[in-house]
Amino acid sequence: MTPTEASETQQPQIVIDGLGKTYSRDSVETEAIRDISLDIRKGELVSFIGPSGCGKTTLLKLIAGLIQPTNGRISIDGRQCDAPGADRGMVFQDFALLPWRSVRKNVETGLEIAGVPKAQRRELAEQYIKLVGLGEFADARISELSGGMKQRVGIARALVVRPDVILMDEPFGALDAQTRNIMQAQLIEILRNTQQTIIFITHSVDEAVYLSDRIVVLTKRPTTVKEIIELDTPRPRDRSAPDYNAVKRKILDYLENQNTELL
Amino acid sequence: MTIIPISHMFNVKSKPEAAGGETAVVAEGKRTVVTDRQKQLVRKVVLAAVSLLGLLVVWHVASVAVDRTVFPTPAETWTAIVKLFTVGDSMTGYSAWDYIGSSLGTFLKGFAVALVIAYPLGLVLGRSAILRDLLCPALDVIRPIAPVAWAPVFVILMGYQLGPLCVVLIGAFFPLLTSVMFGVMKIDRNWIDAIKTLGANESQVFTKVVVPSSIPYLMNGVKTGLGIGWMCIVSAELYASPVGGLGFFISNYAQSGNWPNVFAGIVIIGLLGLITMIVAEALNRAINKRMGVSNE
Repeated sequence: MTPTEASETQQPQIVIDGLGKTYSRDSVETEAIRDISLDIRKGELVSFIGPSGCGKTTLLKLIAGLIQPTNGRISIDGRQCDAPGADRGMVFQDFALLPWRSVRKNVETGLEIAGVPKAQRRELAEQYIKLVGLGEFADARISELSGGMKQRVGIARALVVRPDVILMDEPFGALDAQTRNIMQAQLIEILRNTQQTIIFITHSVDEAVYLSDRIVVLTKRPTTVKEIIELDTPRPRDRSAPDYNAVKRKILDYLENQNTELL
Repeated sequence: MTIIPISHMFNVKSKPEAAGGETAVVAEGKRTVVTDRQKQLVRKVVLAAVSLLGLLVVWHVASVAVDRTVFPTPAETWTAIVKLFTVGDSMTGYSAWDYIGSSLGTFLKGFAVALVIAYPLGLVLGRSAILRDLLCPALDVIRPIAPVAWAPVFVILMGYQLGPLCVVLIGAFFPLLTSVMFGVMKIDRNWIDAIKTLGANESQVFTKVVVPSSIPYLMNGVKTGLGIGWMCIVSAELYASPVGGLGFFISNYAQSGNWPNVFAGIVIIGLLGLITMIVAEALNRAINKRMGVSNE
């Protein structure tokens, strides 16, 4: 069964409907996002890619409920998302870990908030710390970790509360190219083990093509959906395959056009 | 001739690599860091000794050049200090420790009250733009007034005990308040967003992010506040005669013209201030380390 058939038979988990966001500052209105509609299935990895300065992060913050839309609505399993909640975990480009907490305590944060008893908290945290390959570093301080390790803590922290969806805002953008590739491969492993729905923001075309079930290509501001590309090649994908590179070429051409227009 | 790599000559073990091909920074090169620190420490101590010795020399030369009777030499001052600690104050019957205890007690109480008021207020003002706009104009009028200017008023209104305490309070209050308030305003937006997406409500944002991340800023305020508070206590005691304190000791002997005793008081104040700062600095370093903030 291809993903397209699945979407016809399965109820979408996340429904984004006519989403729009306009900022007004000093009586100047800036339309960041215009009329974005999209359905996302459970267990799907959807990435958003677009020209520099388009409202990718705004879109993610809207889904997280950290900011409110001007138009339209977002719902998860029928529930409206108008405030942040533990059902939508987030992974940040700069990790956003709390430096006074150890790796373990960072991962436990969400469980503390949910009021999970201490013993269970410890057990769950342990399990996810191992899942992201940091078993030996559970008691390390954040400042002792490399960038890649920090982001694995960020991912474990988001996963451990079992959210419906994880929102990743250029999560590997601050990492060097090699670490980035390792992290992408590990994310695929984690996906396989958890069936986690992921919304992924990136400015790397290669990353989007390597990871995604679907790529949503966005336009420059006011940002709207230019095209949705379905990828059904099983992961992990071969970066040298002709169709892999054909998709990359297509997206790159579009983005280059858009960016040139901006200049 | 074959060239032997240095690492082979000293049989250096290669660094263990972390899983996933990334290099862990844990424990890497700790040995060299320690020796560098030790070198720095030795240099620091030597330079500090030179600095203090220089001060004594300048002081001696100045007192000989100016007027030894009103400006005694370090040696004369030292004799007065020793006498104060061994015999006590013949004029009042107090010992050196009575004076120190009195000043230090007032200072610590005043500082503690300032801390208890300023810290929570700073946290709240840092989080609420409305409260800031409401309270800051009033606070900004009071802030630039030298705390000592309040001394005569406070002493008359609240007496010899509470007056100086209130001067310390107001002196330490503002550095504490502003440091905490601006610290809270500077908290990484992403930390707050991160904890909100983990399901935190406002009070959990406060206890799990705002309070912990305010502590290094609080410590900064404590350092500044201790310095200013210590200046305040002595100057307030100059007004507050009969109940002791080092400020009183100084003003008492200035009136009777016993200048070595005046200088003994001044030196003791300086040393106590220095000790307070060293303690605060050590505390600050320990806390920053615990909170994951670098000391650099």
